Amino acid sequence: MLEIHPSYPALASLIEKYPAHRGSLFQTYNDILLAQQWRDVQVIDLGDCRRGVLRGKRPKTATDPESLLHVIPCSLAESISIAWIRNVFSALDNPHSVYLAVVSDDSSIVYYKLSPGIVKPSI
Amino acid sequence: MKGRIPIRIANKRAYIWDVDDLDKVRSEHHICGLLVGTLPHLSQQNVFLGLPAQLTPEEATLLVEKEYAVFVDDTNAYPEPSLSQFQQWNAEQKRYIEHQRAALESENVKSSEVAQLVVSEEAVRKRKERELRRQQKALELRRLQEGEGDGAVHAILSQPIPTPSADVQALLSGLRPTTSSAPAQYNICIAASSSSLEWYSPESCSYSTIDAARTAGIWDFPSNLQDRARYGVFRDLWEQGYFLGGGIRFGGDYLVYPGDPLRYHSHFCATVIESPTRTIRPMEIVAHGRLGTATKKTHLFCGWDDEKKTVSYVSIEWAGFG
Repeated sequence: MLEIHPSYPALASLIEKYPAHRGSLFQTYNDILLAQQWRDVQVIDLGDCRRGVLRGKRPKTATDPESLLHVIPCSLAESISIAWIRNVFSALDNPHSVYLAVVSDDSSIVYYKLSPGIVKPSI
Repeated sequence: MKGRIPIRIANKRAYIWDVDDLDKVRSEHHICGLLVGTLPHLSQQNVFLGLPAQLTPEEATLLVEKEYAVFVDDTNAYPEPSLSQFQQWNAEQKRYIEHQRAALESENVKSSEVAQLVVSEEAVRKRKERELRRQQKALELRRLQEGEGDGAVHAILSQPIPTPSADVQALLSGLRPTTSSAPAQYNICIAASSSSLEWYSPESCSYSTIDAARTAGIWDFPSNLQDRARYGVFRDLWEQGYFLGGGIRFGGDYLVYPGDPLRYHSHFCATVIESPTRTIRPMEIVAHGRLGTATKKTHLFCGWDDEKKTVSYVSIEWAGFG
């Protein structure tokens, strides 16, 4: 099924490498690219965290459309930890924030912004 | 230990009983506590509470560790009074009763004035002076009656002092109204604060360190990993200048305020995570993040590292899309 999807070629190597995360990577990639309309979406092999993550820019209409952002796909059923989050940040060369994409079995996705340190609410 | 705020410990809970101490703790040390005092007859009241203020274990521990306060073992700060102390107290009680009787008999004096007279410190001082004069007079009188009498007075004074408990019993029975033929109705006034009692001696049971209080068996926070994590996070945020309140309203461990909670909304709701490897479910991130966004707060995951004794923070917000 997955193999005949138009998105498959871009994800094939990481889906084979990290089969446990194939569902969340596939759903997140499609949502970011097609629903959220992100641009220049790349798939990165984050070896330290043993999964693929996405990098891209938000649509031209968004505020600050040129900054490169990271999305970490994650299944709702996974268990993560503070150490895991820190590991993600250091593997990505310490960006000021990343987006955690939480994917549920029915393919709905929510995104939460994680920032290291104490960061005031944006509003 | 002088000049430090006394935190009274009862049943391993920490209380501040003095309003000036509470003011100081709040304005100078950024510790709020929680007023928990009610009127005895209105124990269900929950809108306007008064002294004492109860401190959370974290707040109390911090104040002692930073050398702003000492723990006082309140139960043991009231040893059994000595005979003379008790006699004095007893005499004051009797005088108070006499005073009430006199006041009731006189129609001119209103009952509120009676209460006032008794409460005021001035009255207490005067009463003590009067008593002293009376004692001296009695002693002189006795000396005169005994003729030269020096030896006799010495004999009286050198009588062996009976054990307090037996004597206290005797004195107590003397207090009972049935022994008197006069009108038996009078009020017993129990002062709100008992620290003015002659035999109150907090010095012998004050503890200026957490270890000393722990050894004395009156304090045991922090006692395990969870406590250490909570305290470590509390202290770290406090040291950065934040005020901390209870987080129950927003489903966290602490609410983090940039200034006094009476003047500021909290910017953060904090959750303590005992170790860097403790499991976090993505659902927790969703639940905390979503609620925080709805209430204009960032959610803070505060990860405690018990080996390094450090805290690392992760701020969570809804992404704004998806």
